[in-house]
Amino acid sequence: MRVIIMRRILTLNVSALAAIAVFAAGCGCGSNSGTTAGTPTTTTTTTGGTTPTSTAAKRPVPTAAGNTATGDKIVVGMVSSLNGDLKPWGDDSAKGGQLAVEEFNKQNPNGIGGKKIDFHVADSNSKPEQGKTAAEKLMSDGALAIVGEVASGITAQIANAAYEKGVPVVAVGATRTDLTDIGSNVFRVCYTDAFQGPVMATFAYKELGKRKAALVTDLKQPYSTGLSNSFRDFFTKLGGTVVDEEFYNTGDAQFSGQLTNLKSKGPDVIFMSGYFNETGPLARQAREQGLGKDVPLLGGDGWDSREILNTGGDAIVGSFFCNHYNSQETRPEVQDFLAKWKAKYGTAPGTTMGALGYDGTMLTLQSLKAAKSADSKDLMDALDNTENYKGVSGNITLKGMGGSPHKRALVVQLTNDPNAPQKFVKAYEWDDVFGAGGGPGAAPAATTTTK
Amino acid sequence: MTLALHLVAGVDFNTLPQQLVNGLLLGAIYALIALGYTMVYGVLRLINFAHGEVYMLGAYVALFVSYFMGFRPDATHPPQATILNLVIMLLASMVVCSIVGVCIERFAYRPMRSHSRIASLITAIGVSLLLQYGGALFLPNSPPPSISESVNPFHGQSKEFTLKGPSQDLVMLVEKAKPAKDQAQAAYQGWLTSHPNADIYNLPADGQALKEAQQSSTDIFNDAEHKVEAGGVHLIIQTGQAVMLVSTVVLMGILTYMVLFTRAGRAMRAVSHDFDSAALMGINVNNIVTFTFVLGSSLAGAGAMMTATFLGTPLTTFYGLAPGVKAFVAAVLGGIGNIPGAVLGGLLMGMAENMVVWAGYSNYRDAVAFLVLIIVLLFKPGGLMGSSKVEKV
Repeated sequence: MRVIIMRRILTLNVSALAAIAVFAAGCGCGSNSGTTAGTPTTTTTTTGGTTPTSTAAKRPVPTAAGNTATGDKIVVGMVSSLNGDLKPWGDDSAKGGQLAVEEFNKQNPNGIGGKKIDFHVADSNSKPEQGKTAAEKLMSDGALAIVGEVASGITAQIANAAYEKGVPVVAVGATRTDLTDIGSNVFRVCYTDAFQGPVMATFAYKELGKRKAALVTDLKQPYSTGLSNSFRDFFTKLGGTVVDEEFYNTGDAQFSGQLTNLKSKGPDVIFMSGYFNETGPLARQAREQGLGKDVPLLGGDGWDSREILNTGGDAIVGSFFCNHYNSQETRPEVQDFLAKWKAKYGTAPGTTMGALGYDGTMLTLQSLKAAKSADSKDLMDALDNTENYKGVSGNITLKGMGGSPHKRALVVQLTNDPNAPQKFVKAYEWDDVFGAGGGPGAAPAATTTTK
Repeated sequence: MTLALHLVAGVDFNTLPQQLVNGLLLGAIYALIALGYTMVYGVLRLINFAHGEVYMLGAYVALFVSYFMGFRPDATHPPQATILNLVIMLLASMVVCSIVGVCIERFAYRPMRSHSRIASLITAIGVSLLLQYGGALFLPNSPPPSISESVNPFHGQSKEFTLKGPSQDLVMLVEKAKPAKDQAQAAYQGWLTSHPNADIYNLPADGQALKEAQQSSTDIFNDAEHKVEAGGVHLIIQTGQAVMLVSTVVLMGILTYMVLFTRAGRAMRAVSHDFDSAALMGINVNNIVTFTFVLGSSLAGAGAMMTATFLGTPLTTFYGLAPGVKAFVAAVLGGIGNIPGAVLGGLLMGMAENMVVWAGYSNYRDAVAFLVLIIVLLFKPGGLMGSSKVEKV
């Protein structure tokens, strides 16, 4: 309740500040002239103190002081799902983090101001409560920042715990849209569900030419329900219809009832927003129910795993999903990263979390270097000032974004080639989907004007 | 919002036969597991909460046997799948599960038999948790493995029955839409062959226009085709699922024979009737209890092998939790301790779940199991076919 009231006061302030900003826009940045009155709120950084920006101002600012580096070490923590359902992701995220630290140490043999990076990885066991415990342990060990997690539910717990302590969190693969509203200490290096849903909707509508979508949602996963909603909203906005939505629960085995219903509604595309564990059997049973290959299956980044090809078999080959990174991309960052990864671990990363774990850790370390002093608070400011950071998974700008960058998303296709299970299909930038300056929230206008 | 969406969702009577069949297939598996609960309860008056974990172990046994036979997910050339493979997996699961079931009884329940019944109940919960969490230490569970579909010789096979054809004018509609679709498709394909290097997801304007024309004409055609499809009543039965149902019925038949027509079965019924008197009449009660666990656990193993193989579900040590709970509800619904009751309860549960889905409330699919349990306990505590004698547990 208190939070709500506080947010109301803050939003009032923001609108007042926005009005001032409109006046301010007249003198400084000419490129702002094209934007509407409500948008150029990025200029409110002049207020001093906590330097809130348009979306950041809505986010509560932690009052606790956070950690300061002591001795000759700077402790950076990572929470990762090294066991449990999300193990394929957690392993890659931790490996990516270690690779980033190794490389950073090589580039900066003296560390940061004589202090060496001390990287701790803690296991969340794919469970939110254990993730919270792991984060608390890392913070009591003096971690200046926490990198992770790969999933939104766990990250939310970590972010709340870190908010209490005033420690920044750089989420690796947590895409749930409202996650960064927890506090101004929360950042991420991945896109959000508010983007990947529309990306897949655009792909289905424009590239595949589909008009009638059916949704299959995992009721137990906030990730899945959120993603289904964002897909539905954008698909209908484009002019398509959502003919059916069916639900299941994590761990279900039999989907024939739902699939019979779904088939009778005659969709020409099916969006399955759940995780890979259930999507494989779902796809298999959908094909057995007579939903042919002319009805493509689409999904979000929750599909990203080799296991989906084992459980889904032939049924899932040829399906499309949204991902953060693809090894077939020719961008130099990707090819550099792949070479380094192969040199250290032998094989290419199995999931996208390798690249995101690397990006999250590297961004944190680079921000530490840029920070005024080695403490959580200055690190948070440095992270919040990130502009055009060239990550493996795409460019990251956090300045004025309220913690969630507008990153590119890739549509990839599953193949039965064991060496390249994910074929690169198409890359979407934020503007490709929402149009220049469009999209949810007022923030996109800010990014276009900072260039 | 989603709730509102589903409140207005109508029911489609053309899919009712298919949903009933789905319910039957689902219910048959519940029934198979429920038999284990009900037989153990009949003999020992004990709810064997570890039964779901026996089921889970059965699925793992099937997995390991399939690996052993060469059907690993990473195998590039898996051997040809035959029915013999499935039979080996089935028998292995049944045998291992009966051994596990007997061991649980021997080492966990028998020492507690002379104590109060609540002590046995707590022990059963303890064994269940031990297998769930202890199993995670040595069974592969992250990432969850699954039985490769290459082991299933019936994979992808299904039979479609048309119960009622669509009307003639609907079929005409499809005929009418076909030439336009074919023409647009040919134009687009022609363009693609003349531009061999074109990336179909990033086409230049002229190619994109042809692609869109092809898509919209295909749309109209598909729409018409769907109307034809939805206008008739169809029944699709996957061969694998049919095999599953037949095997289930056969196993239940064998069980019925064993319980009704063998000496051990007669003794089992005597023990279930009155434990102490049966012992006084010279029946070796311990052997009969072991026999009961062998029967119940092997049925669970068979059910687990079939679901894990034909449905392709990833396995974790919690694999038996949800089916175990539902089968327990099925046993209570039919009247716990009553063998035909367990079968009836299982089938009803499967049907009830699918009817909820059919009505458009798939988000309440699991809730119905517990709703049924509450209603049965309120109005007919003995279950549909059980005695209504009130017992203190």
